[in-house]
Amino acid sequence: MTRPAHFIAHTGRVSLAAIEEMGYQFTLFAESLYWLIAGPFVSQPVRLSAVADEMMKIGVLAVPVVVLLSFSNGVMMAIQGIATLQEFDAESQVVPGIAYSVTREFGVLIAAIVVAGRSGSAIAARIGSMQMSQEIDALRVMGIEPVRHLVAPILLAMLLMMPVLTLLADSAALIGGGLYTGIVLKLSLSTFIDRCFDTLAVYDLMQGLVKSLVFGILIALIACSNGFSVTGGSEGLGRATTRSVVLSIAAIVVADMIFTYFLNR
Amino acid sequence: MGYKIEETAGFAIVHLEGDVDLSRSPTARQAILDCLQERQHVLVDLTAVTYIDSSGVASLVEGFQVSRRMSLDFALIGVSDAAMSVLQLARLDQVFPIFASLDARLAQTDPRT
Amino acid sequence: MPAINQQSEPVIEIRELITYYGERKILDGINLAVESGEIMVVMGGSGSGKSTLLRHLLSLNRPAAGNIRLFGKAVNKLSSRALHQMRQRIGVSFQGGALFNSLNVEENVAFPLREHTRLDDNTIRIMARMKLEVVNLAGFEKLMPSQLSGGMIKRAALARAIVMDPKLLFFDEPSAGLDPVVSADLDELILRLRDAMGVTIVVVTHELESAFRIADRITVLDKGKILITGTTQEVKESDNPRVQNLLNRRTEDIPVNADEYLQRLTDDLAGL
Ligand SMILES: Nc1ncnc2c1ncn2[C@@H]1O[C@H](COP(=O)(O)OP(=O)(O)OP(=O)(O)O)[C@@H](O)[C@H]1O
Ligand SMILES: [Mg+2]
Repeated sequence: MTRPAHFIAHTGRVSLAAIEEMGYQFTLFAESLYWLIAGPFVSQPVRLSAVADEMMKIGVLAVPVVVLLSFSNGVMMAIQGIATLQEFDAESQVVPGIAYSVTREFGVLIAAIVVAGRSGSAIAARIGSMQMSQEIDALRVMGIEPVRHLVAPILLAMLLMMPVLTLLADSAALIGGGLYTGIVLKLSLSTFIDRCFDTLAVYDLMQGLVKSLVFGILIALIACSNGFSVTGGSEGLGRATTRSVVLSIAAIVVADMIFTYFLNR
Repeated sequence: MGYKIEETAGFAIVHLEGDVDLSRSPTARQAILDCLQERQHVLVDLTAVTYIDSSGVASLVEGFQVSRRMSLDFALIGVSDAAMSVLQLARLDQVFPIFASLDARLAQTDPRT
Repeated sequence: MPAINQQSEPVIEIRELITYYGERKILDGINLAVESGEIMVVMGGSGSGKSTLLRHLLSLNRPAAGNIRLFGKAVNKLSSRALHQMRQRIGVSFQGGALFNSLNVEENVAFPLREHTRLDDNTIRIMARMKLEVVNLAGFEKLMPSQLSGGMIKRAALARAIVMDPKLLFFDEPSAGLDPVVSADLDELILRLRDAMGVTIVVVTHELESAFRIADRITVLDKGKILITGTTQEVKESDNPRVQNLLNRRTEDIPVNADEYLQRLTDDLAGL
C-alpha cells in the first residue's frame, strides 16, 4: 500500500476501535444502572458492603492527597492572581477570581485527576488480573454477573464520593487562597470567606458538582472497560493500567473543556 | 410449613420429610434448635426424607454441636442409603450417633443417666 | 417405553457445534450426548479444542453454528434469568482454579452460597467446611489462594464447585501438573462424588491413566473433530490410527513437504 492509503486505513481502524470501546463503555454504564435499580427485584442486588468498600478505596483514602493538592493550588492562584492584578491596582479583585475558578474549575479538576490516578489504575489492575486468572469467567458460570458484582459498586461509589471530594477540594483551595491573600493583603480569613460567599452563587458550586458526577462516571467506565479487555499476560495488564489512567485524565480534561464552553457562554 | 415434632420416651423426635434442600433446611434447622433450646433430647428422624443436601446436613451438624454444648442427647434415626452416602462423603457417618429406629436407640444404655 | 426414555434424557446434548476464534475454525461439527449420572472424559492433545468445548458448554462463548442443550433446554434460547437459575445447578473447576485472590479458602468456597442463598451464616460456614473436609483441605480455611500449592488450588476449586450440590460438574484438567499420588487421590474423589451425589461429571484431561480410572465413557477430540466416543474398552480397542497414536503417546509422523518446509523456515527473511 502507498503511505497515504496506509495512513487512512490505520486511522479508520483506530477510529473503529475507539467507537467500539465507547459502545462497550456505554453498555457497562447501562447494565450497571440496570443492576443498581432492578437488581433487588430479581434477587441479585448490588451489595452495599461492596459499595462501602469502594467508597473507602476511591474516596476516603484519596482525601489527604486531594486536600494537599487543592490547598497548594489555592495558594498558587492567590500568588499569581495578586501578582497579575497588582499591575492594574486591582489586588482586591483576587477574591472573586479565586472563588469562581476554584468552585467552577479547579476543585473538581483536582479531585478528578487524583481519583483517576489512584483508582483508575487500581480498578483496571484489579479487574484485569481477575480477567487473567479466569476469576471473571468463574463469576459468570456461578451465575454472578460481573457487571453487577464489580462495576455497579464502583460506579455508585464514584457517584457518591466525587461530589464529596470536590467540596473538600473547593474548601481546601479557598482556605489556601484565603490564607495567602490574608497575609499579603492583610485580610482576615473570615473576611475572605465572607467575600467568597458574597460572590458565589449556588450555580457556581453546582457547576463543579455536576461535573464531578460526569468525571466519576468517566473514570469508572474507562477503568473497568480497560480491566475487562486485558489480554496477553502481565505486559497486557501493565498496558491496560497505564491506558486507563491516561485515557481517564484525557477524557476528564476534554469533557471539562466542553462543559466550560457551554456553561460559560 | 413446619415439621412434625413428637415427644416420646424423653425425646423430642423431629420428623423431617420430603426434600431437605436449600429452601427447606432453614425450617429443619429452626425446628431442631428450638427443641434443644427447650432443653429436650433430640432424635432426628430421616425416614421420610427423599433427598437431603449439604445445607440439610449442615443443619444437623449445628444441632449436634449445640446439643453437646448443652449436654443433651442427639441422634439420627431412619437414615436412608441416599442420606447415608451424603453423610459418608464428608465422613460424618463416623460423627453422628446413628440408629435404625427409636427402639434401637432406647435399647442402647441411656447416656442421660 | 416413554417413562425410561424420559428418565434417560441426556443432561448434555451437543449438535453440530462449529466454533471459530477469529478466522480459525476450532471445533468442527461436534456431536455429543452425556447421560445423567455419567462420568464423561473429554480427551485430546494440547490445542485440540477441549477447553474451547468446555467454554461453549458453559455459555462463555457463543457458537458460530449448532446448538447445545443442558438439562433438556437449548442454552442459546434461555432468558438471562433462566440461564442464571441453570448456572446455580452447575459446578465448574477451571484449569487454573480461578479462585478469588482477594478471599481466603473458606470465603472462596462459601462465596456461591452467600450470593445465591439466604441461609444462616452458621449453616453456610459449616457447609463450606464440610466441602473442605470432602476434598481433604480441612485446616487450611484461612489461607489465601497465593499460599496454596497447585494440588491444593485444584482441591479448593473443586470444593467451591460442589458447594451448591450441583447436578452437573465440569472439571478442566484435574491432574495436570500434579504428582501421581495426588492425581490418583483427586480421581478417587471424583468417583466418590458421583456415587454420593449422583452428579453428572464432565472431565477434560489429557492424562491417560486418569481418564481410564474415572471414565464411564471417553470422547477423543482431535483438531476440532471427535474421533470416537465410547466406553474405555471401546476406545482402547479402536483401530483408528490417530486414537492409537494418542493412547500410545506417539507423535504423529507428518510427511515433510520439502518446498513448504523450506518456505516456512525462510519466509519473510530479508534478501530471500
Ligand atoms: N482466546 C483465544 N483466542 C484465539 N485462539 C484461541 C483462544 N483460546 C484458544 N485458542 C486456540 O484454540 C485452539 C484450541 O484451544 P483449547 O484451549 O481449546 O485447547 P485444549 O485442548 O484445551 O489444550 P490444552 O490441553 O493445552 O489445554 C488452540 O489452537 C488455541 O490456540
Ligand atoms: Mg485446556
